[in-house]
Amino acid sequence: MTDPVLRVEDLSIAYTVGAGTFRAVSGVSLDLHPGKVVGIVGETGCGKSTLAQAIPRLLPEPPASIGHGRIVFRGTDLVQVPKRKLPMIRGTGIGMIFQEPLNSLNPAYRVLDQISESIRIRHYRDMGYVRTFVGGEVPFDYSKRPTATVTGSLAKGIIPDGALEEAARDRLRTRSEFRNEVLEYLRLVRINDPETILRLFPHELSGGMRQRIMIAMALSERPSVLIADEPTSALDVTIQAQVLTLMKELIDEVNTAVLFISHDLGVIAETADEVGVMYAGRIVEQGPVAEVFHDPRHPYTKALLRAAPNRYKSDGPLSAMAGNVPNLAKLPDGCAFHPRCPLARPACRAVVPPLAPLAGTSPPPDISAHKSACFFPDEVPGLP
Amino acid sequence: MGRNPSDLLIFIGKRLLQLVPVIIGVILLTFVFTHLDLTNVCSEWYTHAGAGTIANCKRTVDQPWTTQLSEYFVNLAHGNFGATQFGTPVGPSVAAYLPATLELVLAALFLMIVVGIPLGVVAAQYSGRWGDHLVRLFYLSGWATPTYLGAVIAAVFLAPFLGLPTRGDFSTATVPFPQYTHMSVVDALLAGNLPYTADAISHLILPAAVLAFINMGIATRMTRASMLEVLPLDYVRSARMKGLSEFWVLYKHALRNALITTTTVLGITAGGLLAGTVVVEEVFDWPGIGQYAYDAIGGGGSTPNFAGAIAVVIIFAIAVVAANLIADILYGVLDPRVDWR
Repeated sequence: MTDPVLRVEDLSIAYTVGAGTFRAVSGVSLDLHPGKVVGIVGETGCGKSTLAQAIPRLLPEPPASIGHGRIVFRGTDLVQVPKRKLPMIRGTGIGMIFQEPLNSLNPAYRVLDQISESIRIRHYRDMGYVRTFVGGEVPFDYSKRPTATVTGSLAKGIIPDGALEEAARDRLRTRSEFRNEVLEYLRLVRINDPETILRLFPHELSGGMRQRIMIAMALSERPSVLIADEPTSALDVTIQAQVLTLMKELIDEVNTAVLFISHDLGVIAETADEVGVMYAGRIVEQGPVAEVFHDPRHPYTKALLRAAPNRYKSDGPLSAMAGNVPNLAKLPDGCAFHPRCPLARPACRAVVPPLAPLAGTSPPPDISAHKSACFFPDEVPGLP
Repeated sequence: MGRNPSDLLIFIGKRLLQLVPVIIGVILLTFVFTHLDLTNVCSEWYTHAGAGTIANCKRTVDQPWTTQLSEYFVNLAHGNFGATQFGTPVGPSVAAYLPATLELVLAALFLMIVVGIPLGVVAAQYSGRWGDHLVRLFYLSGWATPTYLGAVIAAVFLAPFLGLPTRGDFSTATVPFPQYTHMSVVDALLAGNLPYTADAISHLILPAAVLAFINMGIATRMTRASMLEVLPLDYVRSARMKGLSEFWVLYKHALRNALITTTTVLGITAGGLLAGTVVVEEVFDWPGIGQYAYDAIGGGGSTPNFAGAIAVVIIFAIAVVAANLIADILYGVLDPRVDWR
């Protein structure tokens, strides 16, 4: 099993608003491996998006605060990174695709300018013109390259061995070179007429097109971790399918570690290798996607799967889960799901069940074992 | 879709066309006040030979008002604003005084933009914290200062402290040189005389700073408000996610969009400024249109100059309308969502 590129350990996030403290994420642990997709699924308000935005430290702090836990990215704990150094970790390490493609592009700039800005940031970091993040036990790969300066690269012209390649790499690139690279990325996201799209403003593009541009923008920084926060939720079903197919193809191509957040079980089932089911800020069940969905071992997962509309059966009404997501400011003692749980017993009201591996499962490499945060996982298959 | 420069011409042309009725309306109002409401029109308005003798005037006044109106328009179209009762034509004086005011207002506007807008960004960035409160204290104190008080304090206390002149646009020691534009700094530059340019700038600083300080609030407040509107938006988050530093996130991505509203308000303010420099010009003895207007209505014991006052009213109205037009065009240019056709 290889080392994860990003590891979230026991992460807890709370929002302090007015008098109340909302525990949006409590004790979440995750491993992201290159080329593997980890899906997070859960109801609205279960802390999925908070988790997604906390990883690149995008949450406004305050009101949000990271209580405890670590986010280890290539050996550096991102929780400890000071605010002013955050741009350095976001730029070329972690990319993100947001839920609302309609509002995620700046309305004042053309597509060309917005994508080439991302490429420029990566390029200048690569060349050492802009300082990269140094800190933690292992520095990022790109900071290992020799630091080049403008004067330094000019002086290299006289030095014979390998000087030409060095100079070519370090030279500040021209606008047309950036443009060509933008075109490459637009083609990568299967845009048919990139030359025209380049010159357009975001408001002149359709939702699916904008989401493609967002994906191109995120990929153009060559991130080693890509976080997709409900990338298809705001799109029409047909466009959703297109974007999803595109994402699946791209994930195979770029070999990035992906954290895929969605409330849609079908989307997660199609995209992810591993899934974490979130409820009230905790991961209640985790494991290989096929295993979790075919043999759920947490009553919440079971209920969630039962509530999902089934396109093959149309007899009878859709089943809905009784009760509501608990108020994050007043979480019930013990297991947060116990008020809605058919298996609830006194033990569930007293202690929070730990996320424990189930007996007799052997996961493929880089995928965590099937775990459930339920005291009675063996009784779950017997539920209706 | 898409925006072609040729469409911009159409866009501007349309806005210009919309101005025509406004300007005609202003002139009509002025006509009413000058010709229908007053008895001694001839002695005040047509004394100069350029518009005819008194006898000529009597003849025109006896004519139906439609004829008078058309004659009034014809005179204005020829740039003839009439003359003072001493026979000095008003037009050339206005042409000499107006650019000086324009220079003063542009300098004040420049200060409002380079100081007021960044202050608004800072206020939004530290919204609710002490940085915000300090900025608010600064612009509110400007807003709360009466113009005459601010101007006098600047002239009496600040000027000696900073060693800046307080009277006129040039030092008295300046040897007269040809003034092409009647903007002191521009003329000195055109004459290629750097010491004179420095002199002109030092004369410009205080009145422009007073004007800017008093009107800064509008720029800062608008920028702060629209920045607060823009900052929580998703594209600001995307910009942060790209790895841009906070400076570029604020000034390239957020401010670019927040400026759209600020520009509109600044344009309207600029029009008001052109018409509202009277007190500052009077205190600093700035040879601008405000001072001319003050003298024309008999301020400071001067002989009232009726034709001059009317001309100034028309010019002020046109200035306000023109500033609005410029703001409107800038809005269209800054916001790509505005269709030029």
